[in-house]
Amino acid sequence: MFAARTAKTIKLLLVIFMVVPVLTGCWDRLEIEERAVVLGISVDLEKPEAAKEESDVSHLRGAFPVPHQRLLRVAVQIALPGRIPLGPGEGGGGGGGGSEGTVWVIDVVGHTLDDALMNLQQQVSGRIFFGHLRVIVVSEAFARHGMQNLNDYLRRNPEVRRMAWMMISKGSALEVMKAAPELERVPSLYLMSTLDNAVRLGKFPVNYVGMFWSNTSKKGQEAFLPYVEIHKEQNIQVKGMAIFKNDNMVGSTMPFDIASYMVVKGINPAGYRGFVPIGSNPEQTVTIYATSRKSSIKASIRNGKPYFKVSVFTEINMEEKISEQFSVNSSEVLKEIEDNNRRALTKACENLIEKTQKAQSDIFGFGEYVRAKLPNYWNKKVITKEAWQKMYQDVDVEIAISTRMRRVGMKAK
Amino acid sequence: MKDERQITAIQSAAILVSTIIGVGVLALPLFAVRAGESGAPLVTVVSVLLAFVGLAVISLLGMRFPNKSITQYSEDIIGKWPGRIGSALIIAYFAVLSALTAREFGEVVITSVLTRTPLEVTVIVMLLLAALATRNSVTTFAYIHHFYFPLLLFPALLIVALSLKNAEGLNLQPMWGNVSWVRPEMVEGILTITALFQGSFIMTTVIPAMRRPEKALTASAWAMLIAGGLYVTIVAATVGVFGSEEIKNLLWPTLELAKGTSLPANVLERLDAAFLAVWVTAVFTTLFSSYFFTIKEASKLFRLGDHKMFSFFLLPAVYVMAMLPRSILHMYEIIENFGRIGLIFTIAYPLMLWLIALVRRKRGSQ
Repeated sequence: MFAARTAKTIKLLLVIFMVVPVLTGCWDRLEIEERAVVLGISVDLEKPEAAKEESDVSHLRGAFPVPHQRLLRVAVQIALPGRIPLGPGEGGGGGGGGSEGTVWVIDVVGHTLDDALMNLQQQVSGRIFFGHLRVIVVSEAFARHGMQNLNDYLRRNPEVRRMAWMMISKGSALEVMKAAPELERVPSLYLMSTLDNAVRLGKFPVNYVGMFWSNTSKKGQEAFLPYVEIHKEQNIQVKGMAIFKNDNMVGSTMPFDIASYMVVKGINPAGYRGFVPIGSNPEQTVTIYATSRKSSIKASIRNGKPYFKVSVFTEINMEEKISEQFSVNSSEVLKEIEDNNRRALTKACENLIEKTQKAQSDIFGFGEYVRAKLPNYWNKKVITKEAWQKMYQDVDVEIAISTRMRRVGMKAK
Repeated sequence: MKDERQITAIQSAAILVSTIIGVGVLALPLFAVRAGESGAPLVTVVSVLLAFVGLAVISLLGMRFPNKSITQYSEDIIGKWPGRIGSALIIAYFAVLSALTAREFGEVVITSVLTRTPLEVTVIVMLLLAALATRNSVTTFAYIHHFYFPLLLFPALLIVALSLKNAEGLNLQPMWGNVSWVRPEMVEGILTITALFQGSFIMTTVIPAMRRPEKALTASAWAMLIAGGLYVTIVAATVGVFGSEEIKNLLWPTLELAKGTSLPANVLERLDAAFLAVWVTAVFTTLFSSYFFTIKEASKLFRLGDHKMFSFFLLPAVYVMAMLPRSILHMYEIIENFGRIGLIFTIAYPLMLWLIALVRRKRGSQ
């Protein structure tokens, strides 16, 4: 009896001793101070001469398999553990105020993203860790050159999240990475909150990198990204949308075009203001803002071509009036404002659509409507993304906007 | 063993559900989209129906022979030696299926979470866990599944529900996809997805231990409704969120779905860690079932009273088979091809047995 019991205990202990070492996951232990947490990354196109800066990390000098490939300058913003204040009360002491000292910006050159990152890893002690990557800034020049390589690397890497923001910078992306805005202690987080708040204020449609990738892949749709520029106070301005054809940026829009885009797609909240003149006198102008929008896009075939009818309904309020020469005190006046607003908005939307048609960049996803709602036509006439890009140039889009002006603020006239 | 008839209908449904939901759920939307693009949910529905045919046949056979599993009644139906050969093939097939499950689990873990842990370790740990667990009786087996069943189902449903707020209806239209339904890819896709349901074959081992075997078909129908419903919902949510073209770029779309989904109010910004925890449990229950089937039926084939002996005896063989695929792509090629071939054993062979049993009026004793 006793022997049997001892034998059983020994057996059990043996099993435990065998199993415990493999259950701890020691291989992937990674202390927080041993990793270089990348918060933001920027990618610029570099002149071929910059190859001199590169040391032979991934390949021998001049032995890169694609000889005339463009060169990249990649910069990363690495969070300094311990320097980033964890709560609002903790500030001041650590970094000495501002954003200095919370991150470390390093830039390297390379032929591909991975090449550059390996050159970087050679210079940084901690393992580069992308789990907290929030912002990817790409220079316009690089985006126009094509983003396949960048998208591929980021999709492949299991640490990258699809909720990060990707943006296109007018001019150098490195400058954006190096910018140290006063408002937030961590520059990347400032960049991120610029865009997150733009979404909340209705200044930009939500467009995380995952959505950008999905839109790039779709056959009847092209992708867009926020187009930003750095200003003299190191603040970042959302300058419009960078529009894409496949993986290449093909153009950019005005900031107001973002509003037109959101009108066509019926995206809430609405954040842009519009000037609406009443009658012919330019002094009689009011500023209005939309409070909510709805839109429906109907696709049909006319004359053997896809035809889209976009019906939009917007609700607007008045925000200011530029002179005292007239008063807004009756519903008649509101009606006139509605009419004028409708005309202006229709024009704005048509302009944007025309612009995207010229660029063969269907950022609205009209093609997706054809694919989804008119599958017979799509399967016969379109099928591929390339065919839709060609066809999009001369489809007809009718915009029908109806507006209701509801409120005028606290002033009576 | 004689008086072990304790498994209720609900428990057997739970066994089936937690067996079906397994390692394949990660790649499922990719298989479905390759076959049917935006018609992926419909492709999945067709596969569920096809899989249900197999499961229904197994249940009907089980109800005809309430005291026997396939290894035993196949000998009654088609004769001693043909039956034995058929059973041996099925047992070998499930051994391979266990190996592939363990390997796929290892590959996912090593790619997405524990990138520096050797593959061998993740596979061995999972196999050891399954082998240890199979040393229990079929009643305990049912309890374990019953215990994990809600832990699998509800978090999975939660993730799908949360992700739906990013979904676009347009991605799911047209419902039958922009592709022809008579392409070879479509047939292959449907069969591959049907093969993901093959774990439900465990029903044949469960029925002899059911308290009321006549309820087997009801239990199967419910199980298929729940597991199939979950699979269709997962495919619909993934396609709705990403669009079918993007899914073709993703090896494990369901994992990406969890990665892109956050709990409201930013409690958790990405749910992939939570999802993987659930998924590891799901893999365990699947592996547990297929391994349990292998050793239990092997012991019946060799007329042994006890199946415990096989649980470690087979381990090295299963482990070696798990290590055979050369790369992750090679592994998926094997999984897809092997899964489709396996349908011969799990659907066609039982169907044949059932028809012969009907013709020869064979029936088990009550």
